[in-house]
Amino acid sequence: MIRFGLRLALAGGREALTRLLVIAAAVAIGSGLLLTTLAGVNAVDAQLTRYASIYPQASTAGAADPLWWSTRDDFFHGKPILRIDVAATGPSAPTPTGIPATPGPGEFYVSPALRELFAAQPADQLADRYPGRDLGTVGPSGLTSPDTLLAIVGGTPDSVGKLPNSRQVDTIDDKPALPETTVNLILGVIAGGLLFPVLIFIGTATRLSAARREQRFAAMRLVGATPRQISTVAAVEAAVAAVAGTAVGFGLFYAFREPLAGIPFTGMPFFPGDMSLGLLNILLVALGVPAGAALAAQISLRKVRISPLGVTRRVTPRAPRAYRLIPMVLGVAVLVFALGYRPETSDGQTAVFLPGLLLIMAGLVFAGPWLTMVGARVMARYANRPATLIAARRLADNPKAGFRAISGIMLALFVTSVAVGVITTIVDERGPAPIGSTDAGTVTTVFDEKTTSVPDTLFAELHAITGVRSATAIREAPDINTGGEGGMIACADLPSAYGRCAQGAVVIEVPTGLSRWEESASSTTEWRAASITLDELQRLPVSSVVVGTDGSAAAIERVRTVLEVAFPTFWVGPNVPGDFESDFADTLRGWEQLANVIIIASLALGGCSLAVSVIGGLTERRRPFSLLRLSGAPVRVLRRVVALESAVPMLAVAALAIGMGLLAAHLFLRAQMGYTLVAPQPGFYVIVVVGLVACLGVIASTMPLLERVTGPETARSE
Amino acid sequence: MSVPLTLLGLLEREPSHGYDLKRDYDAFFGRGKPLPFGQVYSTLSRLARDGKVVISDVAPGSGPDRKRYVITDVGATEVEQWLTQPVDPEPHLQTVLFAKVVLALMLDRPAAEYLDTQRSAHLHRMRELTEIKRAGNLVDALLADHGLYHLEADLRWIEMTGARLDALRKEVRP
Amino acid sequence: MSVVLEARDVTFSFGQTPALRGASVAVEAGEILAVMGPSGSGKSTLLHCLAGILVPSSGEVLFDGARVDAMPETQRSSLRRDRFGFVFQFGQLVPELTAVENVALPLLLSGVHRKQALPRAGAWFARLGLDGLEQRRSGELSGGQAQRVALARGLVAEPQVLFADEPTGALDSLTGEHVMDLLVSAAREQGTTVILVTHEARIAAYADREVMVRDGRVNAPDRIAS
Repeated sequence: MIRFGLRLALAGGREALTRLLVIAAAVAIGSGLLLTTLAGVNAVDAQLTRYASIYPQASTAGAADPLWWSTRDDFFHGKPILRIDVAATGPSAPTPTGIPATPGPGEFYVSPALRELFAAQPADQLADRYPGRDLGTVGPSGLTSPDTLLAIVGGTPDSVGKLPNSRQVDTIDDKPALPETTVNLILGVIAGGLLFPVLIFIGTATRLSAARREQRFAAMRLVGATPRQISTVAAVEAAVAAVAGTAVGFGLFYAFREPLAGIPFTGMPFFPGDMSLGLLNILLVALGVPAGAALAAQISLRKVRISPLGVTRRVTPRAPRAYRLIPMVLGVAVLVFALGYRPETSDGQTAVFLPGLLLIMAGLVFAGPWLTMVGARVMARYANRPATLIAARRLADNPKAGFRAISGIMLALFVTSVAVGVITTIVDERGPAPIGSTDAGTVTTVFDEKTTSVPDTLFAELHAITGVRSATAIREAPDINTGGEGGMIACADLPSAYGRCAQGAVVIEVPTGLSRWEESASSTTEWRAASITLDELQRLPVSSVVVGTDGSAAAIERVRTVLEVAFPTFWVGPNVPGDFESDFADTLRGWEQLANVIIIASLALGGCSLAVSVIGGLTERRRPFSLLRLSGAPVRVLRRVVALESAVPMLAVAALAIGMGLLAAHLFLRAQMGYTLVAPQPGFYVIVVVGLVACLGVIASTMPLLERVTGPETARSE
Repeated sequence: MSVPLTLLGLLEREPSHGYDLKRDYDAFFGRGKPLPFGQVYSTLSRLARDGKVVISDVAPGSGPDRKRYVITDVGATEVEQWLTQPVDPEPHLQTVLFAKVVLALMLDRPAAEYLDTQRSAHLHRMRELTEIKRAGNLVDALLADHGLYHLEADLRWIEMTGARLDALRKEVRP
Repeated sequence: MSVVLEARDVTFSFGQTPALRGASVAVEAGEILAVMGPSGSGKSTLLHCLAGILVPSSGEVLFDGARVDAMPETQRSSLRRDRFGFVFQFGQLVPELTAVENVALPLLLSGVHRKQALPRAGAWFARLGLDGLEQRRSGELSGGQAQRVALARGLVAEPQVLFADEPTGALDSLTGEHVMDLLVSAAREQGTTVILVTHEARIAAYADREVMVRDGRVNAPDRIAS
């Protein structure tokens, strides 16, 4: 029976072959995406493991020869540079991962990406921050990503030991420092958004010409085949397609691994080697997918197994009812409710928002057929053109079938719209300061050591840099821990761009960055007088140096380099507002990029599902359509029928999903952060349009088939 | 079934003795109901009286079997007319139609054309009956239907025969 | 009477297989012509050539004196839509549409507004004994009902020529004759010329005249004097 099934599958004529190919293609895409997801999880795991080796745990007991270690953040053009200072205390001290030996004082290693920057940028903007001998390149095992900017700088145990964040390390462990489950959960959600359309596609493909196949199986039952034999044949057919598809899926994965690794899913690209598959992963996909396909085939054949007269007459399915709207409405209600009631704990917040979002997602899929039907009925009532009438009637008759192919698109667009809406808004609220503002040109370094004087040569050096407008040393206010602005300067030292002194003040209170947290620097700000004298001020320790520049990247980087060399024990590299934020925003933008990938992929896949259901609908109505054409209906009428049946619900659903997604994002942002939704960038709409066009393109590719299928041959009495 | 015309037709093939005619008639048209010798000779003598056949020569000996019959122009014309004219389309014509087709083939005449002519005649009659059916009452319609179905059966036979003329020709002209 | 549609020495091949080898036939206005012939004789191909569905490889097709075979596809389509009507053996009703919408389809295709098209289509239901079936779908109609709906669809736009390709081929004889009866009555009433392709003599008997297609040629017997 298995051999018979094989023969039927492989030599069952053109139609069988087409079905085989479509199912195989669906499975190929599906298994390719599955493999990518698994490899992505592995890659995140590898990245986190190496991330952990950049921040090693301090040793507990006094080991023999510990390694002094300090990881600090520095910046270049808004991108973070990791600076690791190390000093070996003895011959048996551990060596940092990725380099052959611990560098000594005055020696350093850099990552390949940083080395490229060194070569591309003037030394006084970047390379001068690392005086000494360049020993070589940090290998991939010491980097989280090929793009990581990292320097491992040698020092004496004394000097490194005094640095902020310094610790003694006796092993460079590689246990992930971040909870992996969180990342897996996020990846899982995203994979769901991507896999759902794939599953829909596979489902639609197996339904392709199901009627014909069921007829054939019913005929086999009629001549005496047992239900068990039939299901064996069906399972073999599906499994053959699935095995072929899975093999192609593996091929696709390895072919596209490098470009995929280049997508910064986690804010940084992966090493292609990190996107690897474990034996378990491979077995799971290679065996699981064909088994699943065979199972799906059996399930879809339940109807035929009942009777040899199997094929049921086409009847109009029962119309979906309005109660299908309930979950979606409930979901929105939950989010609206959350506007007024905000739980204290983050767990409590999750408990409100997650069910709300899930309810909306499930609700959209559940309500889809009803909405399709209502829309189609309205369309049918006012239709004047025959194409509109036919398309509307078909959708109204069987809205579930019409909606099935696009439900994947709907989910994917909803998930991505929520994500993009939230991300755009957060980036907008917390992104780098606008170009040209005083903030954007202000470099601030915060001191660790309590020095009371800043050498005049430093100010001279800073002022010598083109684009520097002011340089101000701010001293730490004695009441720093009890309130006040935190810093103090002489009124005479305040650059006019940062405000003016209160009437008659000699010494004023200012924030350490010369502008308040989440406020912009402004010449109109009036700073309050401090209750100390100039003399007392001179005895206070310097807490920060604020350098105002014209905002040009060259000036900022030169200032940074001068400050770092002058004060090497900084906590965090001298920074401009937005350095931290843009780091954060970069990560978010990585997710945004991922959202874009999902939008295009799901729309293209949705297009494939639609194309398959279009083909199904065409074969079903082949005779009436070709006879209509013979009676003089122009092909364009039929084309319009096909386009209206597929494109209209698709576009409507896309609009609805994006609308609901942005609404959910808005409700979330209002309740959680008090932000108002910022409309997504034009880029988002461009991506959506590109995806929709791809989808329409796939649908349009069925048009030649339409003309061929409805040619005059069909009219010859069969 | 017209025995005189059939015998005339057989004679048009070639001059024959009475015995040969009986044998051929029985072989092609008798179908389990052989023609009695008496009827053969009475028919032949009637044909001879009407000038449609002549006795060509008499072999020595005794008995009717020594006479060879030859068809005359009058006889040949009658055969020709009979073959070309369609039979009145009435039910139960198979035997006549069959005789005509076989003879036409034997005589190398256009049997297909005869069939076409006959079909036309049948269809013409069927049209008349259909018209009666459409216009008349139920009784007329039922009677017309009876005629229609029988004519249709004949027509089908005509179709089938027309499709197998070649095979039949081989059978009757060895 | 004047000739409305004529094929002159038409040939047509499906690939290497010739279907018509010099077929000629002339149809007079208002005439009901039966095209008979065994399966594969080319009678449907002849109908398709006459209706401008297929373009003959040689020969001429004339409708009202115009060369149909020389027209571009768009013009032939609009000819079929506006001047011709069609009834096929089965399965020409669009399953999604109701019976009355199916009948109105040719009108809608010619740009008649729905408000006018539906009542015009509805008028045919009483005429063909289909009262009360207006809102049924094709799946809910019997074979005879479906063919009568198809007949209404073929005639609703008041075509000059109705092409009927084995219109009763899928029906039992009583139902088939009923459909033919209606077809002939309606065509006579409207003065529609009918070209009826059939292999059944009893169906052909509804026509005024028959031609035989055999081996791709038309065999028109001389008229038999009654």
